[in-house]
Amino acid sequence: MVTPGQPRRNTLDRRGFLARAGGAVGAGLVLGAPSIARAAGSPNDKIQLAIVGFGKQGRVLFEALSSVPDITRKVHFRAVCDIWDYNRKGGMAKCRALQKDQPDALPNGYVDIDEMLAKETGLDAAIVATPDFWHAPHTIRCLEAGLHVYCEKMMSNTIEGARSMVEAMERSGKLCQIGHQRRSNPRYRYTLEQLVRGHAICGQIVNINGQWNRSVNASRDIGYNPKLTIDEERLRRYGYDSMHQFMNWRTYRDLSGGPISDLGAHQIDIFNWFLGCRPKAVFATGGHSYFKDREHFDNVMTTFDYDTPQGEVRAFYQVLTTTSAGGGYYESFMGTEGTINISERAAFTNIYRESSAPSWDELIARGYLKRQAAPAPAGGGAGGGAIASYESEAPEAYQLPGELNLPPHQPHLVNFLDAVRGEAELTCDARHAFESEAPIYWVNPSAREKRRIELTSEHLDA
Amino acid sequence: MSDNPSPAPSHDPLALTFAAWLTRLWLAVRAIQTGVEKYAGTAVSDQAVEIDGQPNDYGLTASSAEKTYGLENYSGVPAGLRSSFESEPLMPGFLLEPYDKVLGPALIALGATILLGILPRSSLFLLGLLYISLTWGLILLGQPGQAGVAWLGVHLILIVLALRLMPHNRLCILGKW
Repeated sequence: MVTPGQPRRNTLDRRGFLARAGGAVGAGLVLGAPSIARAAGSPNDKIQLAIVGFGKQGRVLFEALSSVPDITRKVHFRAVCDIWDYNRKGGMAKCRALQKDQPDALPNGYVDIDEMLAKETGLDAAIVATPDFWHAPHTIRCLEAGLHVYCEKMMSNTIEGARSMVEAMERSGKLCQIGHQRRSNPRYRYTLEQLVRGHAICGQIVNINGQWNRSVNASRDIGYNPKLTIDEERLRRYGYDSMHQFMNWRTYRDLSGGPISDLGAHQIDIFNWFLGCRPKAVFATGGHSYFKDREHFDNVMTTFDYDTPQGEVRAFYQVLTTTSAGGGYYESFMGTEGTINISERAAFTNIYRESSAPSWDELIARGYLKRQAAPAPAGGGAGGGAIASYESEAPEAYQLPGELNLPPHQPHLVNFLDAVRGEAELTCDARHAFESEAPIYWVNPSAREKRRIELTSEHLDA
Repeated sequence: MSDNPSPAPSHDPLALTFAAWLTRLWLAVRAIQTGVEKYAGTAVSDQAVEIDGQPNDYGLTASSAEKTYGLENYSGVPAGLRSSFESEPLMPGFLLEPYDKVLGPALIALGATILLGILPRSSLFLLGLLYISLTWGLILLGQPGQAGVAWLGVHLILIVLALRLMPHNRLCILGKW
């Protein structure tokens, strides 16, 4: 188990349980087909839920749950655990407001998760939204206490921590959903199942391009009211050197994986999920371009090489914390016949048909796609500054036929609750999440050591 | 040259009555509909997108928005303006809430009394005061509200005109007031 406060580094040590992870559970085979993720015995009553970590992400998850129809008939928020009084009391108040018409509207508050698990014997499930370096310890403790767990991504700040979560999930027989919420997003699922696989509108996918560009202002250190400072003894007990470190744990190497983990993990997960396989190599570069005092690189660019049944695929991903321009955040699957730019935001989602591809008119007539307004003429005309003979004909632009008009985390949380009731299978259990996350753990080492890393089962297997 | 020249407008009772009714009608419609709009909201409904003639299984939806009216939609002072007013040092904070509650019903009530000719002088005077209060609020907000100040100034001119035409404003109840 990861011990907070100690240096945490990725190593190549082969885990003892790696030998057991053979056969059908091997690399790539489980990326797209969760099957071990349904609760054996589901509670007929409300799910008794604890929220562990009620900071920014904890609030996002709570708000997403709050707008689920009849949520207070399905779930009772029974406990809130957070080491910061401000977060914990605020979370308890939010829960009380939501379930004001229910008995025991005010959940119990805890600073320490062990105390919570010892006293709250009636819990069914926990949502873990603590900093990354606490994900594995908190998730494992909850699983071992008999709770189903929804844990935020990244699974852990270390690959060993992530492996231990897979092991704990399978040992406990409990559910462990990892917060790659795009896996439950109807837009993503539709795009993969109907457009990429069903109708193969991309043709042969040969390149992938993804990014998350964030401005300096959105990336600055998070401040706090000095009156609300956590006392030093409590901070140290829970692995923080200072209040600044507590507030800005994402910028510290021992506490998080940095921007490639915070932001890139969501999108690189989509690369692997859509391709149905894992990369064979990674090469990355990064630096301290602006935030020079931070432990993690502020800007990282990385490439992954894949061997897919269709052929080679190269993927490029960049995460910038110094510039927001350039199209926001999306994943782009670029094929010989079409390109799908998909994002959680509809505004960043576009689909393009190559001029040489078969017509998509039938797909439009059947409702699989919507056509966008006619594109600008290729070449830019005589005064456009482009040489028409060097340019490709502009691809036609299309859209998905519908949108998700819900908080983006809601379908993933609902999938978890449905699975706890035995009514669904998890869309991203810990094993599948690990298969997809594992390559991401090798981006920072590649960037630091400035070398290409050939990824083997030793790097990637749980 | 005509043998029976039309009387000068200021001495034409029928034209003056029509002028009075038109200003009365304009001010009434303006006030009533402005008040009613404070009860307007938008009902957004999501419809499942159809693929191959069937609702899709994924949960993809297309939104349609429909304007609705209801007491639950009421908002006297728009939220954006309200937050601006709250930060204005000269704005008595304790007045904002009652003003917000009264504004919509007051516009409808005054518009109705002007339309029906009930207490026409007092109704026009009170509507004028209401517009002055709105003008003061917009002056507080500074430059973004200046166009609104001019717009409300036009309203006030029309109220003054309606009061000036009051001797010709027929079909009133308690017309003296």
